[in-house]
Amino acid sequence: MKITFDETAKEDDRIKHIVTEFLDQVETLERKMSTPVMIFQDGKNLAYYIKCSIKAQDASGIVDLDAKLDIESTEGYRANRELLLNHKTYKTMKSDAEAGREFNDIIVEYNLKYNKVRPLKVWGGQHRIRAISDAVKFSNRYHGFRIYFDLNKKQRTEVALISNTNINVSNDTFDRILEETLFGDYLRKWCQEAGFLKKDEDFPSVGSKAERITVKLARSFMVNFYIGKEKGAQLKSDEIDKNIYEPYLTETGVVIDKAYSSLMETMGSKILGDHSLLDAGKYFLALHNAQYKAVKEAKTIPNKKSYRNKAFVESILCGWAYIAGLLQAHKTRLEKHYKIPKTIGVIPDPLNAVEMSKFKHDNDPPTYRGLGTRSSLKDRQRVAQVFLAKSLQDSCSLDKKFLLKAVSTVEGLLALKKGYA
Amino acid sequence: MYNFRDYLGFAERYVICAEEENVDTNFFLIPSVLLSWVAIESFINNMLDDFASLPEDMFELHERALLLEQRVRFVDEGAEKGTFVLEKKEYRRLEEKIFFLLAKFGKTAQLSKGDKLWQNFEKLKDLRNDIMHPRKYMDLKLDVVIAKHGLTTSKEIISFVSTHVSGKPIEL
Repeated sequence: MKITFDETAKEDDRIKHIVTEFLDQVETLERKMSTPVMIFQDGKNLAYYIKCSIKAQDASGIVDLDAKLDIESTEGYRANRELLLNHKTYKTMKSDAEAGREFNDIIVEYNLKYNKVRPLKVWGGQHRIRAISDAVKFSNRYHGFRIYFDLNKKQRTEVALISNTNINVSNDTFDRILEETLFGDYLRKWCQEAGFLKKDEDFPSVGSKAERITVKLARSFMVNFYIGKEKGAQLKSDEIDKNIYEPYLTETGVVIDKAYSSLMETMGSKILGDHSLLDAGKYFLALHNAQYKAVKEAKTIPNKKSYRNKAFVESILCGWAYIAGLLQAHKTRLEKHYKIPKTIGVIPDPLNAVEMSKFKHDNDPPTYRGLGTRSSLKDRQRVAQVFLAKSLQDSCSLDKKFLLKAVSTVEGLLALKKGYA
Repeated sequence: MYNFRDYLGFAERYVICAEEENVDTNFFLIPSVLLSWVAIESFINNMLDDFASLPEDMFELHERALLLEQRVRFVDEGAEKGTFVLEKKEYRRLEEKIFFLLAKFGKTAQLSKGDKLWQNFEKLKDLRNDIMHPRKYMDLKLDVVIAKHGLTTSKEIISFVSTHVSGKPIEL
């Protein structure tokens, strides 16, 4: 059969050979009808691909939904988001497939370097391909595929990203994809070491549903720890409480955060050997676990997800990690910071989630939703102050009076900082 | 505990009730005026608390005395002999607290006693004093317009102090 390069594609014998091999191995409509096959080349990332049609039955046996970004790695982390098989849209998709609907532009990569029996690695349309496979006994018709060849890691990542941009893919999935491509698996390994993730467990594709740390949160923890550490090293002990601190929140989604990128360029694999960072992670996890358990078991406060996972609220995590970094040079206070806030009868959870959610300062607009409930800079500053004030005491609970004083301090410092004094 | 917005809201509701009442409007207007005053008290006291919560050495002792509403005492015996300490409550008038906040933190804007806003504040204070310290020979002059004026003054004072101390207007 005739295989030619599109006029905008640079001819490449090796690619032609791989495409020929693919067409020899896989039953396509083009081969059956002996129609010419055109090899295209992406103008931006220069990846080669063809468009062809494959019957549902043939496709279902050779597609691999567990596509990997790093094919050299022996670990089996899948890059795509979780399949939502109970989602209404998927059910409609499946029903349509059973009724004989044709699906098109399913994006796959032909790759024999892992799981050879399933060489078509799915990057775009995993729900469609699953629906087609599930419906094959009702309808075995041709569906349209775009098949990429000989992708390098960067091209593969881009294919994965652009294939998922059109549908509702969470930023957590994008973060996970970019993390692995750009920085490797240090962050995941660190989270496994600290205990945020179990051995062989990966970051969730949708953090809001998973109740475990996301790429964004883990990145924010690290960045805050190190910027706090740098700041703390410049301060004498009597200067610590006279500043407003600005914990950082890393960006999420298709844009890679500059502060995190810079940190990883400097640190890279060294983050795995930083015992102070690992300790901070373990102590923070202890706080999260204590909060989770307390809310789950308490009878006096609602067992709400937002209360259980209070430590994983962005402002809480960023503020805590920043102060952990800040106090690295101030060990006595660091020890106090690492202590879990005391619980008492009326405050059964260490972070006092109920009181935090009711909190309001005079300067807050009527719509303010409470302390440690959002990710804004104001909230991060306040939470950092809460933990900084806590580090002055051997044992304390985060009661209303304590929270009020901490936030008052931030507001007072902010007023002074504006230069009116 | 209620905040200044709550008190302003209560004061406003009493005015609305008075507008709907034909007979004894003072039944609603008296609490409205008091609540307008309380709103300022609440806002100013909380603002002082913000500064009082800062590390002690960020203010002079006499400034902390005002922030904490305590008395400065010279110690003439014991281990602290020869020093000044803060002790016991010493309540300050609301206008003193406002002037301190503006002088210390709002140097770009001062409130002169001749300004219309301050004169309105004085009127509200007099009305509040008349209510709080009644005498049989006094004739309380109060109607919906006066109560509304007191409420507006309360909001304007809070807004002025917030803008010039915190550096930003406050959402009322």
